[in-house]
Amino acid sequence: MIEAIRNQARLLLENGDVDVVIGYAEGSDPSRTTPIFIRKAEDVEKLIYDPRCINSLPLYLNKRHEYTRKGWKKTAIIGKGCDIRAIVQLIAENQLKRDEIYILGVPCEGVVSHPEKWDGSLHDGNRASKCIGCDVMTPHETDFFPGDKPDVDRSTPYEATSKNVATLMELELDKRFAFWRTDFDRCFKCYACREVCPHCSCNTCITDETTPSWIDPAAHKKGVFSWHLTRAMHLVGRCTGCGECTRACPMGIQVDLFNQRMKEVVQESYSYKPGYSLEDKHPLITYKVDDREDFIK
Amino acid sequence: MKTATLNKSDIGKCIDLLLQADLRVIAPRLQPQVDEDGPDALEVLTFTEVKSGEDHQVGEGLLPLNGVKEFLFAKHEPLFAYEKRGKKIEIIPVHHEYPQTVIIGVRPCDAASIASLESVFSDANAGFEDPFFTERRSRTTFITYSCTAPDSSCFCTSVELSPDSAKGSDLHLTEIGDGRLHVEVITKAGEAVAKQLQDLLEGEGDQAAREKAGAEVTEKLTRIRDSAPIMEWLMDTANFDDEMWQRLGEKCIGCGACTFVCPTCHCFDIVDENKGSKGYRVKFWDSCQFDHFTLHASGHNPRDWQYKRYRNRFNCKFKIYPEKFETPGCVGCGRCIRACPVNLDITEYMAEVAHKAANPNAMKADPDFE
Repeated sequence: MIEAIRNQARLLLENGDVDVVIGYAEGSDPSRTTPIFIRKAEDVEKLIYDPRCINSLPLYLNKRHEYTRKGWKKTAIIGKGCDIRAIVQLIAENQLKRDEIYILGVPCEGVVSHPEKWDGSLHDGNRASKCIGCDVMTPHETDFFPGDKPDVDRSTPYEATSKNVATLMELELDKRFAFWRTDFDRCFKCYACREVCPHCSCNTCITDETTPSWIDPAAHKKGVFSWHLTRAMHLVGRCTGCGECTRACPMGIQVDLFNQRMKEVVQESYSYKPGYSLEDKHPLITYKVDDREDFIK
Repeated sequence: MKTATLNKSDIGKCIDLLLQADLRVIAPRLQPQVDEDGPDALEVLTFTEVKSGEDHQVGEGLLPLNGVKEFLFAKHEPLFAYEKRGKKIEIIPVHHEYPQTVIIGVRPCDAASIASLESVFSDANAGFEDPFFTERRSRTTFITYSCTAPDSSCFCTSVELSPDSAKGSDLHLTEIGDGRLHVEVITKAGEAVAKQLQDLLEGEGDQAAREKAGAEVTEKLTRIRDSAPIMEWLMDTANFDDEMWQRLGEKCIGCGACTFVCPTCHCFDIVDENKGSKGYRVKFWDSCQFDHFTLHASGHNPRDWQYKRYRNRFNCKFKIYPEKFETPGCVGCGRCIRACPVNLDITEYMAEVAHKAANPNAMKADPDFE
């Protein structure tokens, strides 16, 4: 499979169809892989794909990450289904144009939840919970895909909410709050959760605003709660569930549980799942004349 | 130097004795998870205040995710309060508690980092002192614990340390087999703690066994880099624009994870947290990896690309620190490697610099990056 991807990447670079191929390469440790930017056709041999390829690469397509400053006119990117959902969502939000991107889709059987859980194979003990029930193992939007693309029914809402969300929702409100108070005690506001997110697109994040300062930058309870709750709210209806925020947290805080819960709310209220349509706008920035709620009329 | 032995199983009793002496005890402790067995669950080990000798993981696991830094250099603290009355602004002092503290189960890399923080926050030569830091430092005793199982990210031997180093320690423990620990009293503060624990300490230590154990663990380290040529290479200003910085650093996404988990990173910011006509002036951790860290009021930013910010971090560790303070800027704990979401690895920079220093005629700039 990776041979076909490498060959296509080589062709694209040789023909000058793309300026760069963003993919995965071996990391500095056997359990890890790392994002790589390939500019020369002879370097495509460095590209790999296996269940250690956790990173959501579309974050590099977000203009916040200097994407527009690199002078790339056309970018090829290797994407597993969940990453391609992120790309589709970026396009739907006008953060990216479809014709600027060449999507090299990969068939995916799931990825490990954390590199340290990699033991040479993928199994129920180390498969990320986002991969359970995934409906984009065969990606939905690609320019190149090695092999046949079977028809996949994606009409039912994507149900991959981690069972941790249900566990937390069953708790009494005060106990749930106590859980977050304890967990958020560890947060020192490094913003890894923000920086790995493909959808955090603001040029200046609200937490970096100083005149006025909307969110206290210090990592005390007020500063931490207001940051994480704001982050969760800003991603409602937009989060494509890659789980990178939790994976990236250096203090082991499962910050994506908020996003997963909000995903459930959006699905229940609007039957909407982000990252499947290039045109559909997410529910919080659009309206329908035939809305089932009548407050709009 | 006084030595003794201690049963590893008595560490809980040690903690209880320290608690009975009204000391605040900080120890590595596993944090509860929503789902202990789920595929996403991780072992979250952090230095936390403990209330009972049964409640600790001293000597287990490798390194707590946080270092001991936050117990000396607080994540956030008010400097003072203020209140505006008419045209006058009144400054109101804020009371700080500095409890007498023992941190137990500190690994040698973390212990070595304390001297590095001291050189920033209490520079005797420069006459500068951060009272918040020095007050805490003078009331904190470190009981260190030699490493037994370094992982693939550890590289302390590349920065002149070792898994059994007693540098920065007050009382140093090393496993010598049969569930016994070799105890070394290093400082007066360590002696005071040893006195509290005297009922549990036995006879003399076993220096030979301690050295043998240390050497065996040192053998287990796999990530070995030559840091000797780095400083000189960095001193050559021509290398400031070397192609390496951009090539290795372009994947950096600009989060502050590496700096916040780093035991020697110490940058902070100060803001006024205002509420109506009063508020607090608060000091809190900052990171040189943030894009607004060096943003000038004019809008100019001398570190305008992310790779330049990482270049600064590397220079801070291997040039600025040793040049300015003569204490290590990097202690090889490997936290930044483990924490990096995109596998940006400081030891890859170290290897690259060593390679470039050995091959001075190698390519200086890659035209592909122009």
